[in-house]
Amino acid sequence: MEFEITAGVGGRILRLVMEVEGAQGTGTLDSGEFCSRDSNSNSKRWNHMRKILERPSPFTYHTFNPSYEYLTALQEYVRVLVVGAGGLGCELLKNLVLLGFRNVDIIDMDTIDISNLNRQFLFRPDDVGKSKAHCAAAFVNKRVEGANVIAHHCKIQDKDVDFYKQFHVVVCGLDSITARKWLNSLIVTLDVSEEDEKIPFVDGGTEGFKGNVRVIRTPETPCVECNLDLYPPQINFPMCTLASTPRLPEHCIEYVRLLLWEREKPFGETPIDGDCPQHISWIYEKAQERAAQFRIDGITYRLTQGVVKNIIPAVASTNAVIAAACSTEVLKLVTGCSRFMDNFMLFNDLDGIYTFTYSAERKKNCLACDRGEARQLFFSKNVTVQEVYNYLVESKDIQMKSPGIQGYNKEGVLKNLYMKNITTEENLKKSLHVDFEIPDGGEIQVADPTFAVAVSFKITYE
Amino acid sequence: MKQQKKDGEAVTTSTSSQKKSSPAQLRIMKDLNELNLPKTCSTDFPDPDDLLNFKLVISPDEGFYRNGRFVFNFRVGANYPHEPPKVKCETQVYHPNIDLEGNVCLNILREDWKPVLTINSIVYGLQYLFLEPNPEDPLNKEAADVLQSNRRLFETNVSKAMRGGYVGSVYFERCLK
Amino acid sequence: MTSATPSPKSPEVSEKSKKYDRQLRLWGDHGQYKLESSHVCLINANATGTEILKSLVLPGCGRFTIIDSKEVTEEDVGNNFFLELSHVGQNRGECAKTLLCEMNLDVSGEAVIDDLEEHLSVHKNSKFFDRFSVVIASELSDKTLKLLSRTLWEKPGKSIPLIYCHCIGFIGWIRVQLKEHTVIESHPDSVIDDLRLDRPFPEMVEYFDSISLSSREDIVKTPWLIVFHRILEQYVKSHLLREDSMNCVNKENPHHLNTQQKRAFKEYLEKELRTMGLHEGDDVFAESMKAVNTALTPTTIPWQVQEILNDKKVTDPENSQFWIMCAALKAFISENNGLLPVRGVLPDMTAESAKYIGLQNVYRDKAKRDAEDVYNRCQSIMEESGNSPITLKPEDVRLFCKESCNLKLIRGQPIFEELETCPSSIVNEIAQNQESPNPDCMFYVMMRAALRYYSEFNFYPGASDPEQDITEFKACVSRLLAEWNCNVNGNADYIQEICRYGGSEIPSVAAFVGGCVAQEAIKIITGQYTPLNNTLIYNAVDCSTTSFNLPTD
Repeated sequence: MEFEITAGVGGRILRLVMEVEGAQGTGTLDSGEFCSRDSNSNSKRWNHMRKILERPSPFTYHTFNPSYEYLTALQEYVRVLVVGAGGLGCELLKNLVLLGFRNVDIIDMDTIDISNLNRQFLFRPDDVGKSKAHCAAAFVNKRVEGANVIAHHCKIQDKDVDFYKQFHVVVCGLDSITARKWLNSLIVTLDVSEEDEKIPFVDGGTEGFKGNVRVIRTPETPCVECNLDLYPPQINFPMCTLASTPRLPEHCIEYVRLLLWEREKPFGETPIDGDCPQHISWIYEKAQERAAQFRIDGITYRLTQGVVKNIIPAVASTNAVIAAACSTEVLKLVTGCSRFMDNFMLFNDLDGIYTFTYSAERKKNCLACDRGEARQLFFSKNVTVQEVYNYLVESKDIQMKSPGIQGYNKEGVLKNLYMKNITTEENLKKSLHVDFEIPDGGEIQVADPTFAVAVSFKITYE
Repeated sequence: MKQQKKDGEAVTTSTSSQKKSSPAQLRIMKDLNELNLPKTCSTDFPDPDDLLNFKLVISPDEGFYRNGRFVFNFRVGANYPHEPPKVKCETQVYHPNIDLEGNVCLNILREDWKPVLTINSIVYGLQYLFLEPNPEDPLNKEAADVLQSNRRLFETNVSKAMRGGYVGSVYFERCLK
Repeated sequence: MTSATPSPKSPEVSEKSKKYDRQLRLWGDHGQYKLESSHVCLINANATGTEILKSLVLPGCGRFTIIDSKEVTEEDVGNNFFLELSHVGQNRGECAKTLLCEMNLDVSGEAVIDDLEEHLSVHKNSKFFDRFSVVIASELSDKTLKLLSRTLWEKPGKSIPLIYCHCIGFIGWIRVQLKEHTVIESHPDSVIDDLRLDRPFPEMVEYFDSISLSSREDIVKTPWLIVFHRILEQYVKSHLLREDSMNCVNKENPHHLNTQQKRAFKEYLEKELRTMGLHEGDDVFAESMKAVNTALTPTTIPWQVQEILNDKKVTDPENSQFWIMCAALKAFISENNGLLPVRGVLPDMTAESAKYIGLQNVYRDKAKRDAEDVYNRCQSIMEESGNSPITLKPEDVRLFCKESCNLKLIRGQPIFEELETCPSSIVNEIAQNQESPNPDCMFYVMMRAALRYYSEFNFYPGASDPEQDITEFKACVSRLLAEWNCNVNGNADYIQEICRYGGSEIPSVAAFVGGCVAQEAIKIITGQYTPLNNTLIYNAVDCSTTSFNLPTD
């Protein structure tokens, strides 16, 4: 018997090339037979999964061919990468090893904080300060016999293309849109087969009682970048409101965080650390003073910390639900034992339990998954570098964080339009067309932390 | 901003005669855009349009080399990031891992270079060399020997060199801030 | 968030507050207090059961009791994260309890080894279940589920909430049984602002009129609401209340504009704003124009709230805080022109601080007075009814008034009734498309049939031999559908699929259902957010869910 990764119509399905006699699924496996195939005394352990993997069904993906070998493949051969060892990551790890996966890698740069313990159930109070990836891996390896979870305590950006290429499927539970975009831009462009198929990728996200799951099988389905407008950009208060006309307690807190801290330097040159009680206390007290001055009420310590750290509420149950749906899809993508979710699910249990599953569409000229022409941007003829910069950051379907911009002038010479710390701030006021001589239809290149590689745009003046 | 239409909708007209950036250019752009310099370091781009050639200035605020100012020249080749950039120290320095021609002995600039490393990794590596000179793997054997046998003397030699003067038979230009 | 206590200097944050910080932002310290005072009962520590308890132990429910008489098998260890191979042969509830408690030392757990059916018969009239805030059960037989459902529903005094759930293969089934459940803080996703432009109270008019809008300078510093109100009043006077007006006016409520009138008003508004010297770049201009759609929504009592006020319990609130407050609220409304108390919460509006805060205080003060009025009415209701054991604090009433437009009431239907009668909501939906019925409806039918099949054979269809069981299961499904007078053609695939599952519990399906059930339990315990009423089918084949209200909608 051999395993083969073949590019099926929709994603990299693990297909089995049967050479062992009688390995074809028959759909009639009695419990006796379940045990006889495996001398391992724990063989009954997998009976739940074996029913699913060894029996035919009208609802499977077309490549599915019921067989015992699927379980063997999950255990021996398939490699899964879990990105993020937080609320979703802990749940994903547990689900995957219970589904029969053994070789699971988990990557996370974070260490454990006490506020993680209400949902990240692989961690204990003694683990506070330790690596999330290492603790999670060690716990699961100890609890579930046979599990081989490997931890990577580092940034996702610290791993190269060859690292990501090892995996048959990637499942991601990140809380940061920057990291999610970066990972997406990498995965959907990795060439892993002769065909145009990429590594299938499952993405989950939660916020309070809401969550979403998506199955990404480039080029069959849209990627994160295709539907970026579904992720609302962070709202920032206007500076003038903070500085002169505060009305909400949040305005007072942001005033202290963004303006007063720099001015008063309460702890010298130290930047604000949201986890440092002295820092939060200082901000809290100063915000109270400011609020009193404007007769605004509602400043609490909790609110202060929430605003300073941009805290997103989180609860165990939503993480469990979203990670569960992600894990089921990982099993399906690898085995084909059921048709795939197509391709986006929203979940919300504020009022009853509500889900909405729909087939989202790919975006033409998607900055990540469409390698066709560069996307066009339309600007007036006198557009400045600053305006282009703002557009890249504020546009709902681009949402960059800190773009660096280069462009070719009419002689085909590469000009550096703006790059923090390298070009001068003066550049921002200059005109693309007049000062930098970027022609109509000319190309600019943009580097940003939300993309694994630089992205090209075509400039059209109107 | 009203002038911008929804992007992506219009049919793009191909002008493939356009000059394309090399992979090295695209990659260095990304590295430099995300450069996060420690406060003891700064960069200098003689031509801001040429990201492949630039200088890094390190001014250590602790250790043997405190108050010194050391300039490194970076040349990023066409094979970047598959090959590391060529880095030379332009300031004469009395240092076990930097020779008098300015060659630098840093593992990630040679045998341990990987494409996943960035300019930032090199900056931190170089900064570390000034905090913890490494006598195990010397380019300036004399300095390494002194560091290993007599730290006091090493410290004196470093200060002498940084103030401008002879250490043994070698004259060092002043490089204090 | 109504929870944190104000304090002049930075408060000491307790370890507990730090640990629970991310959820306290959802249900507050008062919700957490209720959770920590709760006692949850779980019947059967299978994969779904332990997943449920996991999501209750982590956020810190007070205590839990597992009732399970089974011994741990290797199959159990395979799909249950809270069992280990070394547990095989020991009591399942006891083993799961130990590993669940490890996660949170604030929670105490116990395992009861007795057989549930004995409990139900022996303790039928005893107080065994009284201690529980909610009972959760998984994988029961038809008969036991009926018995349990009836026992908890018919408890003299107060019925105990029950959640039943069951996962077979890729299908999950959740059923919530609530006799009466009321919610004050339902935390709706979006609320229409309570601005009262159509039903202004005197203090509001007084403040609005005191603001000078004579210069552009003044206007750009003024909250849009005040400018909008001024223009709206002009419009109503000049366009709607004129005798010769072509616009057919609702003289009672001239502010209630129809779509056409709204469009006309929007044009008028824009013209007036421009006359005042404002343009698109001014926040007041942009915010006023944007508000046309929502700010003109008539101030009414939502039908759900109206239904609550018409409930029989309002006239006989017994000893319930909620119903006493409802009775007081009803009296308040009837003496206040049919209006709810003012909410006292305004959205942010770009403006000078003092003008915005002044505006906010007008609404807040009114909300405070309204709440005091309702509080006094509560007191007199309680006095009338004699020595009521209920105590009501003013802040309870203030919260109730603030949330009065979001009140929720669930009067559920019992499971035993569903198991004895035709689930007409499902049957009707199937009848609409007999050839290709809604998969989630079909999976409900299959789950019911599987439950019945288990009662007959003591194993699930396909437990060992799907091909052999398929004939019997098919007959079982047919009998069930015949009882319900339900004709459906395309069910062969579903029958085959259920036989494929053979009663297996897939860990990730159990985890999905477990998370959902835990959250429903938290809603019931905290009295915040709205619980499911009453059935959910989770279909992991398509990753979809459908909710039903059974047996009849």
